[in-house]
Amino acid sequence: MPLPMADVITMIKNNISKRGTPLPISTGEATGWAMDLDIPHGGETILYTGLLYQLTPFIESVVDRLDKLDDESLGGLLKAGKVFSGILDISRFFVKPDKDEIREQHNKIKRIALLLRKAGVEFGYLYKDEMYSGVLLYDLGLEDEFKKHAEKVFNKFRKHGVKKVITIDPHSTHVLRSVYPQYIEGFEIEVKNYLEILSERGLSPENNIEEDITIHDPCYYARYEDIIQQPRSLLENGGLHIVEAEKSGRLTHCCGGPLESLSPKIAAEIAKYRAAELSGYCDKVVVMCPICYSNLKRVARGIIELTDISSILWKIYGD
Amino acid sequence: MLQKASEEIHRALYMKSLRKGLSRSVNRLVPAPYRILDRWRYLLGYTEEIREAKEKVLNDIDYYIDATMKMVEETKGHAYYAKTKDEAVKLVKDLVGKDKLIVKSKSMVTEELGLREELDRDNTVFETDLGELLIQFSRDKPMHTTAPAIHITREKAIMLLKRHGVKVRDNMSTMEIVGMVRLFLREKFVKADAGISGANSIAADTGSIFLVSNEGNIRNTTSLPPIHIAITGVEKIMPTMELAFKQAVTQAAYAGLYPPTYVSVISGPSSTADIEFERVYGVHGPKEVHVILYDGGRVEALKDEVISEQLYCIRCGRCQAECPIWQLVGNTWGGRVYGGPMGMGWTAIIEGIEKASSLSHFCLLCGKCREVCPMKIDMPRIIRYLKMYYFKYVK
Repeated sequence: MPLPMADVITMIKNNISKRGTPLPISTGEATGWAMDLDIPHGGETILYTGLLYQLTPFIESVVDRLDKLDDESLGGLLKAGKVFSGILDISRFFVKPDKDEIREQHNKIKRIALLLRKAGVEFGYLYKDEMYSGVLLYDLGLEDEFKKHAEKVFNKFRKHGVKKVITIDPHSTHVLRSVYPQYIEGFEIEVKNYLEILSERGLSPENNIEEDITIHDPCYYARYEDIIQQPRSLLENGGLHIVEAEKSGRLTHCCGGPLESLSPKIAAEIAKYRAAELSGYCDKVVVMCPICYSNLKRVARGIIELTDISSILWKIYGD
Repeated sequence: MLQKASEEIHRALYMKSLRKGLSRSVNRLVPAPYRILDRWRYLLGYTEEIREAKEKVLNDIDYYIDATMKMVEETKGHAYYAKTKDEAVKLVKDLVGKDKLIVKSKSMVTEELGLREELDRDNTVFETDLGELLIQFSRDKPMHTTAPAIHITREKAIMLLKRHGVKVRDNMSTMEIVGMVRLFLREKFVKADAGISGANSIAADTGSIFLVSNEGNIRNTTSLPPIHIAITGVEKIMPTMELAFKQAVTQAAYAGLYPPTYVSVISGPSSTADIEFERVYGVHGPKEVHVILYDGGRVEALKDEVISEQLYCIRCGRCQAECPIWQLVGNTWGGRVYGGPMGMGWTAIIEGIEKASSLSHFCLLCGKCREVCPMKIDMPRIIRYLKMYYFKYVK
């Protein structure tokens, strides 16, 4: 029996309107990556995480729970009629993720920040004032809620005098750069992705890694934001050899992630398809999006080995 | 509605034969247009010309419907405009009569009308496209716009044909199976009282209809019976014969078959003036040609700025073959007639925006459909619009 999709959407909506994020995440879990980095509070240029990397372990935990629920106890729960109705305490739905997993996500953001710094980019951070982008509301079709949320985010930026935002994942990049201006009058904040910046700045590699890899382009970088060449140059300058999949660049194939909370089953089937396809090119797969990473991870074991691009860039340009 | 659709889709997800059939076909279907476009590069130029021409037609649809109908009449055909499904079905029923043998070529518009089932009540109808014949025999629905039986495995095909009196055996090769189907349908073609087809394109300046096929069934359907009835959506109108040709072959190319084996151009009934230059109608081809321009929600949809973009669709089905969801469940997702990404817009047009909006939540919004669409239709935009509609007006 599949999940009651409309109810799951309502649940997500209620959680975002209640606490600003789709899932409960503490300030430490959201901002912990910046500890020890001495990043200034606010500023004209800020690094904006959009919380997506930080939320991923939580999303994985919920998806895992929903997936199992999908199988076993859904019928009964639905009959009881309580679970998905009205405002729901989502904490019933997941086990807090492992500390190590949260730390691993923090490390990814930290490396991105350090790479930017190494490239001579000066930026601040909003710490606990940083808000989730609301992209999920937009993707689910909750337009009014999205608009309201986006306005709050914009006001927060304005309050801090932000003029330029550096994004680190495809969904936040797209929604801020290409969607916010459609919904918010006077949204004139410049939005740039860290891969664009790093590639422009022409960092010189510290290490040469001669290795074959293949790339799984995220849909929103490749098809919506034209971020295709930048990650490739950054990787190739570090000696990596990219085995291009036929379905790459603008023709990339979705990982299935966008459906993971509405139908974990369909999302997993798509991920299987994509993982099998990529493994035909190279078993080492570079991903650039935390959602792709997490959805492909569900089926990756024994088929492909996933690495977030930030980790490889750190090996090349960081250490 | 959303939950019912979800249950159907999840059921399809675990249907082994469906998944097997789909994956075998998808592996062949997806690469084909890339090869074709690489080799016949002018096709890319055609897509731009067609898009431009469609804009012209859609912006002035009443004029183009009139112009087309006038030209059909001028070439001694009979032209009709059917606004609703009931009107269209009634027109065909009146033209055909009762207790007749009818051969039919595959047409999605006739699927919209449920025409085969409607006519079957008082007549005997045979689909002549092999894939569609399999759909008829299995009482299924077409799973892809140009390859309807894409989900039916060879084993199942043999079983279906056998059950309906086609003399096939289990160990037959595809070629042998096809030979038996040829034999089976041959006598239907000869005896048929009427042939029914769709149209891949229709030209406003000549009233000519264009039909593409590879099996040759359409030539038989439209030339052997004494009456030919063609039904096509009004969005298939092209301003000129040249553009109509381009639309027809471009659809074939993006569907993965190029050059198409047959392109029939039909402008009215067959005729001769070989005896004393007196023109008489009905020689070897049909004596009567009837062309029905079907609206079925299309003209109304033009008022909707977002949904109307789907009317640029030339129905090649490439968005379906490339869609991650469609690859798993075929047309199970999308609506009664049209499935997958294109199905969202088309379902909104022909079955109402409410129905389509309930189905839109299965879309990943990955944007692959837009990327591969020859008309560059922004299907993700349509689908976002439908998702938003759902929360505003349906739920």
